[in-house]
Amino acid sequence: MNVSYWKRGLWLLALVLVQVLVLNQIHIGGYATPFAYVYFMLVLNRDVKRNVLLLLGFFVGLVIDVFSNTPGMHAAATTLLAFVRPWLLTLFVPRDSVDDWEPGIRSMGFGSFLGYAAMAVFLHHAVLLLLDTFSFFSWTLLLLKVVCSTALTTFCVMMMESVRRK
Amino acid sequence: MRNLLDFLLRYSHCFLFVILEVVCFVLLFRFNNYQGSVYFSSANWLCGTVYEISSSITGYFHLKTVNDALTDRNLDLEREVSSLRAVVAELTRDSSAVDSLQQAALGDFWRIKAHVVNNTLDRADNFITIDKGRSDSVQAEMGVVCGNGVVGIVGKTTSHHALVISLLNSKSNISCKIKSSGYFGYLRWDGTDVRYTYLHDVPRHAECQKGDTIVTSGYSSIFPEGIMVGVVEDIEDSHDGLSYLLKVRLSTDFGRLDDVRVIAREGMEEIEELTKEYRK
Repeated sequence: MNVSYWKRGLWLLALVLVQVLVLNQIHIGGYATPFAYVYFMLVLNRDVKRNVLLLLGFFVGLVIDVFSNTPGMHAAATTLLAFVRPWLLTLFVPRDSVDDWEPGIRSMGFGSFLGYAAMAVFLHHAVLLLLDTFSFFSWTLLLLKVVCSTALTTFCVMMMESVRRK
Repeated sequence: MRNLLDFLLRYSHCFLFVILEVVCFVLLFRFNNYQGSVYFSSANWLCGTVYEISSSITGYFHLKTVNDALTDRNLDLEREVSSLRAVVAELTRDSSAVDSLQQAALGDFWRIKAHVVNNTLDRADNFITIDKGRSDSVQAEMGVVCGNGVVGIVGKTTSHHALVISLLNSKSNISCKIKSSGYFGYLRWDGTDVRYTYLHDVPRHAECQKGDTIVTSGYSSIFPEGIMVGVVEDIEDSHDGLSYLLKVRLSTDFGRLDDVRVIAREGMEEIEELTKEYRK
């Protein structure tokens, strides 16, 4: 149990560092920026209490915010993701599976995990980029940004997932 | 009571979610300039429209008394002007002195109302964008002031917007004087604290003390004389020791700039041309 906590902590640290130092600088065509730290929230155990999940989401988002000078933005989006994650999981997974269970390609199958990840990432990015632009003035541009970033982040998440499971 | 506690415990994650999101939004509006300004300006827009409507209605009820008062005042002033004119004519025995007085009154700068659209404070060279441009007859080299004091000088204009070189810009260079004694120098920002700027080249024999008021000198063609700039906070020697360097606390709060006025001098030149033609 303890070992797995440490492992998660290290993963979180690595993800935050990679996000802050590398991925935040990427703006492909001015549209797509990967926010791969979301991966940490996606693959947490299902038996993590909802309150704990929310607090984790909030603080992970806040750490990213502090580094990227956008207080509240990532925190709001990640907290929302943590809030809807249980319902998202029930969409893709039968309810009667074991408690101590971790979302992933191995446990859910490639298609299901891809769907789950894409949907969660889309939600997170929609909120995040909406808060960033903070207007519906150029909503086509906003939508384009959300879709491009979602595709890129989902790609990153699937890469990490397939590498980690080996 | 127990039911209530049960309910609270059962849905604690919902409450926690709402609380955390509220915290996020407080952070968002508190620490992000853009989001904060959008939120507050749209809120102001609502308040503004409500007040505008109510004042446009209530304004009618006072029109009669206001009109009476204005007529009285007008009569008084008329009488005062005629008596003063007589005195001036008697003192100088020269009718052109009256003309020049009139010209001074005509030479009043006229103002163009504008709103601040964008404003930076954190750069070494700060600029302000306002929502009036060439089509509102705003042109480069016009002065910009707000209710509290000088803001900057228009640098560039497009048809509907103008870029103002703020006082908080290392390229801004405005001639100012100490109000009480009249000694002057030029104002330049050192790029550090947005609340203070420096008045350079004040002669060493100038009398000044902390708390003296600094106003525009009127020597430059941009600002009329006597617009508030700030208050002397500290008196230092300049780097070469030949003059004083006054640390000035700005009367304009650049962090909360909204309504500004562009001071147009173009009109004055036109008026002068007209009076010249009339005199020929």
